[in-house]
Amino acid sequence: MNCEICGRRTESKLCILHEEARKNLLKNYEAWRRSMNVSWEEYLREIQQNPFAGIWAKEVAHHLLVSGSANEQEGLAKGTETNK
Amino acid sequence: MQGKTVLILCEKPTAAQRVAKALDERGDPQKQETERVPHYVASRDGKRLVVVAALGHLYTVAPSVKDRNVFPVFEFQWVPRYEVERDARETQTWIEVISELSRKAQECILATDYDIEGATLGYTILRYACGGKEKEAKRMKFSTLTTGELEESYRQLSDHIEFSTVEAGICRHFLDAMYGINLSRAMTVAAKQWSGRYAVLSTGRVQGPTLKFLVSRERRISSFVPTPYWGIRAKVEINGSLYEVEYERDVIESRDEAQAVVNECKGKKGKVAEIEVRKFLQNPLAPFDLGALQAEAYSLFKYTPRRTADIAERLYLEALISYPRTSSQKLPPTIGYRAILESLSREPRYEKLSAELLRRRELIPREGEKHDPAHPSIYPTGSLPERTLSEPERRLWDLVVRRFMAVFSEPAVKQGVKASITVNGHHFFIRGRQTLKEGWIFFYRPFMRSEEVVLPPLEEGQEVEFKEVLREDKFTKPPPRYNPSSLLRKMENEGIGTKATRAGIIDTLYNRGYVSGERAVVSELGLDVIDILNKHCPEVISVDFTRDLEESMERIQNGNEKIESVVNKAVNRLTPVLEELKKHEDTVGQDLSDAVRKARMQQRNVGDCPVCGTGKLMILFSRRTGKRFIGCTSFFKGICKAAYPLPQKGSVKPAQRSCRTCGLPMIQFKVQGKRPWTFCINPSCPSKEGRR
Repeated sequence: MNCEICGRRTESKLCILHEEARKNLLKNYEAWRRSMNVSWEEYLREIQQNPFAGIWAKEVAHHLLVSGSANEQEGLAKGTETNK
Repeated sequence: MQGKTVLILCEKPTAAQRVAKALDERGDPQKQETERVPHYVASRDGKRLVVVAALGHLYTVAPSVKDRNVFPVFEFQWVPRYEVERDARETQTWIEVISELSRKAQECILATDYDIEGATLGYTILRYACGGKEKEAKRMKFSTLTTGELEESYRQLSDHIEFSTVEAGICRHFLDAMYGINLSRAMTVAAKQWSGRYAVLSTGRVQGPTLKFLVSRERRISSFVPTPYWGIRAKVEINGSLYEVEYERDVIESRDEAQAVVNECKGKKGKVAEIEVRKFLQNPLAPFDLGALQAEAYSLFKYTPRRTADIAERLYLEALISYPRTSSQKLPPTIGYRAILESLSREPRYEKLSAELLRRRELIPREGEKHDPAHPSIYPTGSLPERTLSEPERRLWDLVVRRFMAVFSEPAVKQGVKASITVNGHHFFIRGRQTLKEGWIFFYRPFMRSEEVVLPPLEEGQEVEFKEVLREDKFTKPPPRYNPSSLLRKMENEGIGTKATRAGIIDTLYNRGYVSGERAVVSELGLDVIDILNKHCPEVISVDFTRDLEESMERIQNGNEKIESVVNKAVNRLTPVLEELKKHEDTVGQDLSDAVRKARMQQRNVGDCPVCGTGKLMILFSRRTGKRFIGCTSFFKGICKAAYPLPQKGSVKPAQRSCRTCGLPMIQFKVQGKRPWTFCINPSCPSKEGRR
């Protein structure tokens, strides 16, 4: 199986590098939600534009937005409160 | 009639010339050339001294099995460099001339650099080129190439060369070859078996762990997700001038909270609550060891560690500074502090500075902790340049001279003032910093960054007005990237590599395409190589493993361990690693081939296509004409026809930056023997108007 983002060979959907970025995205969302009151999708868009975000974090954010998994997966788990 | 002929073997031609000049009784040795190899004939105490230089190492360690597809190989031997290195042909003449001169000499003296590499290269020449004279050769030990020290060193010859150091040097060469050759062959063979294409892939005993540091930092930076926080920026008016003040909290976690602080403080009057004045001493910096000199030269002049080492080497060969490859921060009194300062005072710009120190009854340097048994720290010899120094040479010499002077001076006396200002229940701080007595800074001033902030007179209870209070939107930042200097420091702190090899290893990482740019960015290839090694043989990129071998080599040098036991230990560790790599040759080969293919694609990637916005601009070759050009990857999808012409001669590579005028990517173009030229790919770019 290949990484959905970079095509590296991997055993899951994302390679270890993009998986690490995805975990960081999940971990830091709570801080963003608390301080900026943003939804998961808004958060991903912010990360895409942020000059301090790493390239893999931006790629994962873009991938989640484009693939539509932004709301379906992580969004459900993390962003429900904000979306109310 | 002259007596004995003595062959003196130096490391480099400039050193040979200096040694000959210093030892010749008339100070005017005769220069001779045999087969274009220069050597000098001097006379001293009735002896004929023939001083000849090597060209660095004339021998190298090579595997017994020459076929590059075979591994593991554990049999290595010393061979002349010209036999195995294509660009070392001239070493053959050099070896022949040294052999000939040695046959005519009754005595041999080794006068190469007094360190592990100098001893090892001297030993190999004495043993293999001079027909086994390593046991009878005497040794000159010196830290500067000044006449006085060279004469003294000749008078105080050691009876033999330093065999334990040689043994440690031989061990290092064997281990480096064993690791480098076997692992690099394993990687290259695996990739070639899989893809059928040859690619230079390498790793080594120190190279692997160093790349691992870079990769680990790259992963933290590239997967970094910033979090927002807020800060307060404020200015108060005191006696008609504005001063910046710091808010009591560096990090405020919510925007509303930060805004509340702004609303509560803006335009309000605060009171100076408490004033704290603190005097403190700032000690002079320690004398330079090589690592510290490289770090300082990078920070001040942006010279890479390799460049600094090269400049320092030139200054040493000109007898302007002492031997630079040292890890010592000590300055023993035997170097003659006063004589050096007196000599430096002949240079107008050091006249006043030297006089200031020479006025003192006693000169006591402030030394650092680090000690090197072979050499003292880097210091100026007192000799003045015999030619006009280049700007980088002049800067580095000045840095060494001023640092040397500074260490004899007293600490600087500084004063820090911290006043707290309270406004509406919030606390702010205003800080001042002032030098009361310069001390050592007087000598080192050109290289100091000023941090002076002089505050107006303040009194407790004094009212100040908050003229400006702003909310600052901030984000946490990723860790900084390594640069060549901080990477060198990291290697030094982790105890891998030596002062002589670290800068070269960093260069290799760049040359292999694993890293690029001044702020070391790891390429996809670098990431993949570490990923693959980590998956199949994590030991070879383990810092502990490398450090353990470094410690073993140090024990050999101190006479506490034998070379055989260290080599056996290394073989025992490397064998299962290579077996594992062989077992998974297919997977390793496929992973590496993918990585190489991606790296090659990356090298041709010029940037995003400005026309379609979705494709990438690549350096391509026309199937019809064979000519190269830049085209968009979306061309094959029938979406975009963007294309830009390229010169057909010379080499081109993406410059990794955009044109300031039109924003299109830029290309670096290079023709052999000429300076590279960077230009915009857009033929109609307004920046080219003057050229059309």
